[in-house]
Amino acid sequence: MNPLLLFLILLFPLAAAVVNALLGTRLPRGAVVATAVGGVALSALASFLLWPLAAGEGTRATLYTWMASGDFSAAVEIVYDRISAPMALMVTFVATLIHLYAAGYMEEEKDYARFFALLNLFVFAMLVIVLSDNLLLLFLGWEGVGFCSYGLIGFWYFEERNADAGRKAFLVTRVGDVFLGVALLWLFALTGTLSISQINEAAAGFAPGTLFLLSLLLLGGACGKSAQLPFMTWLPDAMAGPTPVSALIHAATMVTAGVYLLCRLFPLVSLSPEAMAVIALVGVATALYAATCAAAQREIKRVLAYSTMSQVGFMFLAVGIGSVSAALFHLFTHAFFKALLFMGAGCVIHMTAGENDIYRMGGLARRDRLLFWCFLIGALCLAGAPLTSGFFSKDGILVTAFASEVPLHRFLWGAGSFIALLTAFYTFRLLYLVFLGAEKRPVGAHRHHLPGVMRWTLVPLAALALLGGLFDLPPLYGGGHALREWLGPLAGIGPHLPHAVEWLLAGVATSIFLLGWVFAHLRYRIAPAPGESLGARFLLSGWWADRAVYTVVVRPFGSLARFFWKVADGRLIDGSLHTLAEGSNVLGEGLRRLTTGRLHNYLTALGWGGVVMLAWFLAGYLL
Amino acid sequence: MNLLPDITQGASSFPLLTLLVAIPAVGGLVCFFLRRHAAACRWLSLISTLVVLALSVVYFVTFSGQGGWLLYEDYPWIERFGIRYTLGLDGISLLMILLTALTQVLAILVSWRRTFELPLFFATILFMEAGILGVFLALDLFLFYLFWEVMVIPMFFLIGVYGHGRRVYAAVKFFLYTMGGSLLMLLGIIALVIIHAGQTGEITFSLPALQGTVLSPETEWWLYGAFLIAFIIKVPLVPFHTWLPDAHTEAPTAGSLDLAGLLLKTGMYGLIRIAFPLFPVAAQASLPFLAVLAIVGIFYAAWIAFAQLDAKRLIAYSSVSHVGLMVLGLCAWNQTAVEGSILQMFNHGITTGALFIMVGMIQHRAHTRDLDSLSGLWAKAPILSAFFLFFALSSLGLPGLNNFVGEILILIGAFQANPWWGILGMAGVVFAAAYTLRLVKETLWGPPDETPEWQDLTPREYIVLVPLAALVLWVGVYPAPFLEPIREPVRLMLEGGIFTALNGGTP
Amino acid sequence: MIVPMSHILAISATMFLMGFACVLAQRNLIMVLIGVEIMLNAVGLTLVGASALWEQVDGQIFVIFLMAMTSAEVSISLALVVYLNRRKHTLEADAFSEMKG
Repeated sequence: MNPLLLFLILLFPLAAAVVNALLGTRLPRGAVVATAVGGVALSALASFLLWPLAAGEGTRATLYTWMASGDFSAAVEIVYDRISAPMALMVTFVATLIHLYAAGYMEEEKDYARFFALLNLFVFAMLVIVLSDNLLLLFLGWEGVGFCSYGLIGFWYFEERNADAGRKAFLVTRVGDVFLGVALLWLFALTGTLSISQINEAAAGFAPGTLFLLSLLLLGGACGKSAQLPFMTWLPDAMAGPTPVSALIHAATMVTAGVYLLCRLFPLVSLSPEAMAVIALVGVATALYAATCAAAQREIKRVLAYSTMSQVGFMFLAVGIGSVSAALFHLFTHAFFKALLFMGAGCVIHMTAGENDIYRMGGLARRDRLLFWCFLIGALCLAGAPLTSGFFSKDGILVTAFASEVPLHRFLWGAGSFIALLTAFYTFRLLYLVFLGAEKRPVGAHRHHLPGVMRWTLVPLAALALLGGLFDLPPLYGGGHALREWLGPLAGIGPHLPHAVEWLLAGVATSIFLLGWVFAHLRYRIAPAPGESLGARFLLSGWWADRAVYTVVVRPFGSLARFFWKVADGRLIDGSLHTLAEGSNVLGEGLRRLTTGRLHNYLTALGWGGVVMLAWFLAGYLL
Repeated sequence: MNLLPDITQGASSFPLLTLLVAIPAVGGLVCFFLRRHAAACRWLSLISTLVVLALSVVYFVTFSGQGGWLLYEDYPWIERFGIRYTLGLDGISLLMILLTALTQVLAILVSWRRTFELPLFFATILFMEAGILGVFLALDLFLFYLFWEVMVIPMFFLIGVYGHGRRVYAAVKFFLYTMGGSLLMLLGIIALVIIHAGQTGEITFSLPALQGTVLSPETEWWLYGAFLIAFIIKVPLVPFHTWLPDAHTEAPTAGSLDLAGLLLKTGMYGLIRIAFPLFPVAAQASLPFLAVLAIVGIFYAAWIAFAQLDAKRLIAYSSVSHVGLMVLGLCAWNQTAVEGSILQMFNHGITTGALFIMVGMIQHRAHTRDLDSLSGLWAKAPILSAFFLFFALSSLGLPGLNNFVGEILILIGAFQANPWWGILGMAGVVFAAAYTLRLVKETLWGPPDETPEWQDLTPREYIVLVPLAALVLWVGVYPAPFLEPIREPVRLMLEGGIFTALNGGTP
Repeated sequence: MIVPMSHILAISATMFLMGFACVLAQRNLIMVLIGVEIMLNAVGLTLVGASALWEQVDGQIFVIFLMAMTSAEVSISLALVVYLNRRKHTLEADAFSEMKG
């Protein structure tokens, strides 16, 4: 097969985006939706058909030289290999389902062309990240998803709050992008190329300090996109966007871009043990932070947003302890079950006519059985119920941490297990409050019709979420680590433990899951009321992170801006210029008096001038 | 290997370069005398700018990728003082000429519906075009200075007569600032010519000849300082920038367009073509200081832009921030960064020009530029808003659009010259995002106000915006055609230590 | 030379000063003009004297030019005076102070 065919994967969503952006307002709704869904579906089909190209060393394809100047050159080159192929397949597949779902969700939206154009463009940008073999091209996708999420989060721009949330997402991720950008400049200065594969090869020759700093810079970029500490504040606000957006961007794809970046550059990052430790610690800290916040949220989508942050933290942990396969495995299963949960949440919001507060829901299980079962499957995966995909992938990370010989990793295992407990707790809290119990609010009067396409797209995702564990089933359960095997040399370390210990760990994980369930049952099945304590408010506001950022960064930024404008520019520079101008004005005013307009004054002055000159000459002659 | 091009290469029997300058000048004169015939002037101006554009596109296509002087003209003028009429076109000026020609067509088009003294308005635009083209072509310092002033005077009237609100203040401020600088330059030119005449016995204003002047370090610093101040006022670098926001805010749309697109570029061009080659040693030593000013400018201006309440002022300050990055690219003094810098001059003209045009369009409809009063434009004019968003994204350096290409080349080069320059320059993109997103948010998003429906883009506005958008995308995705013409000139400039390609053109 | 140069210089200097005093002291524009004429003639006298002293004809030629110029100047300035008189009905010099800064 011609390697250039790989560009078809990118071309389809891009073409659909361009068509919808340029002609969307003139085309009938059906055509717009068909273009959007078709573009992504064709891309998924292309990634599936081109799968053979990924085998072995993978396939590289170069379209043209994007820019070249001096000794710098960057090409539009993509690679379809063991990491990017499954990622591309996952992204396009989940995106196709989400596009279908969106067709139903946005049924009543007037501005659908803009929505689908942005959604398609987003898929394109994400695929650029996934497929790119050049850091600069990756950066294009990286910023591209930033822009698309900006446009999509603020999609309902009539409310300033939404537009602000979009802007926040763009700005905060851009702060992270600066780190990636600097890493990019540095890597070019070091290696003279931006090709990812060549950088990975050259990385072995870098000094340890350089490696450490470079890895931290890459981590900074990854943290921005993946909403890890300290750049996490944008993700909860990003829930202002339409739910399909939350599902696509904030569950399945964009937030995992950071993990993917670290996996792509794993040969470089893994060379610095200190940096790896930092990555793992950032992951665990974020996971803990987000899990505590999720346990106190009141809006259904914010709970899911914090849970996403927490799960991505697990992926960072996996990368940090050196296992790419565990990270990617969790990335895939998470994409399935979190997309499922978000889409289910969208259905819930649709059914309750836009209600977001879980304390005002309840009893929805009786209203829609299919929705309940699908959501339950997603929730069980998230909570890590045994034998679901989430169980295997999360357990894979924890087992790897436990099995490692690095002392820190044992501690990380403990912390991870504790976070798993919190996860089970808040997941069941969500389930109880939304689906069980009594209906808090009679919404029957304006109960919304749920389009069929929204319900039925949940089913394939539910199936994948339930059975996704098979992709990388450990030998313990009769599997053969399929993903690990497929990744081959790129997979990083794997757990090597006696079966007895593995069984023991599985037992621990199961009991953690049960424990979380029991806590949630006791707390929310019996007495479902929101907590009003200071602690609850602290957690609800995300540890007051937004307020802290506002006080430490945003407000001083604004004040300084006004200071520079009014004082430095206005008073100092313009002020001194005005003083100069004023001075010459005063001087002119003074000199003006000399011109009386009277002939005799002038003539007298002339006379006196002559006298003075004569006297001067005379004095010169005499002396 | 003979790197220096043969002068006969660019010499042509027909004065192709004079044609470029003469068409707008003659058009301007005719407009000046046809004050009573607005319609005729309109078409005459459009046609003359279009002819200049067509010519420059022809040159661009014909000469793409060649080094050295592409076209060259040299005639004696005022022989008693050795003043010659010397014009030369190389890759750098080619790009600038293309930008100028395009910008002036747009300036005519956006002012199409003006009523107040329209023929004189168009005459000033055409005279300015002649002046700016002359600046980009002149190789004789006297001629350069002449064009330099010719370009300023129409702008003075454009702001002072046709501007908004505090137009007289802004016009006088602009004029005094630039005059202050250019008088210093005139002093510098005269001093240099006299020193040169003292050494060789020949009075000449020819740039290549003056390059050979032997200067004591102290003299070189003084003369370089005179030229430098003239140019960085025009660029403008912080702290010589305060004329720009006022001039931009008060100028009519066409004036803002020309200021941002062209006048600022003449400062950069002067640094590249005149100041650096004439005083290589002082210039080389001054680069780190200039870089500091540039970096301070990037952040300082971006910071102020963030606080602005007037859309035009915000964009004006963003211009100051952007030129800071371009100067940083020059300071890095390597192939990648300097190429990026020159490309960025072109990009900035396109993008910022487009933004000013669009603010003009918005103001035409909303009768305000106040960011607090504007809101929810997307609901009222989605296509206009989409274009606005597009150019704003280009301005904040979204990859795939033109500004990113220039920025990343500058940053790559700057990082090689000094890692901190690259890091700080990169950090500037967050600031760029901060003020640009604020501009977009305040105008496009939010609830639309109650005023009646707007007309979305008119056909004339499409004609203005579509080519700009196409260029933005073209340079962003495939910048090679625009990088190619400047490669050889930049290489020659860097290879001769700091000498430019000018040596090849010695008459 | 019949008359010593010093005498000529003394006379023309006296004439010049008298003219100048007239220009300064008189308020009437016509008298000011007359003062100017006297000063011009003083200069002319010097030129003639100097011409005789150096035995060069240039000075005398110059005086002829001077006389021609003076007559032109007088005709223009008298026209101005007439005009000014019509405007303000006075020839008081201080009445015309429109050039006041």
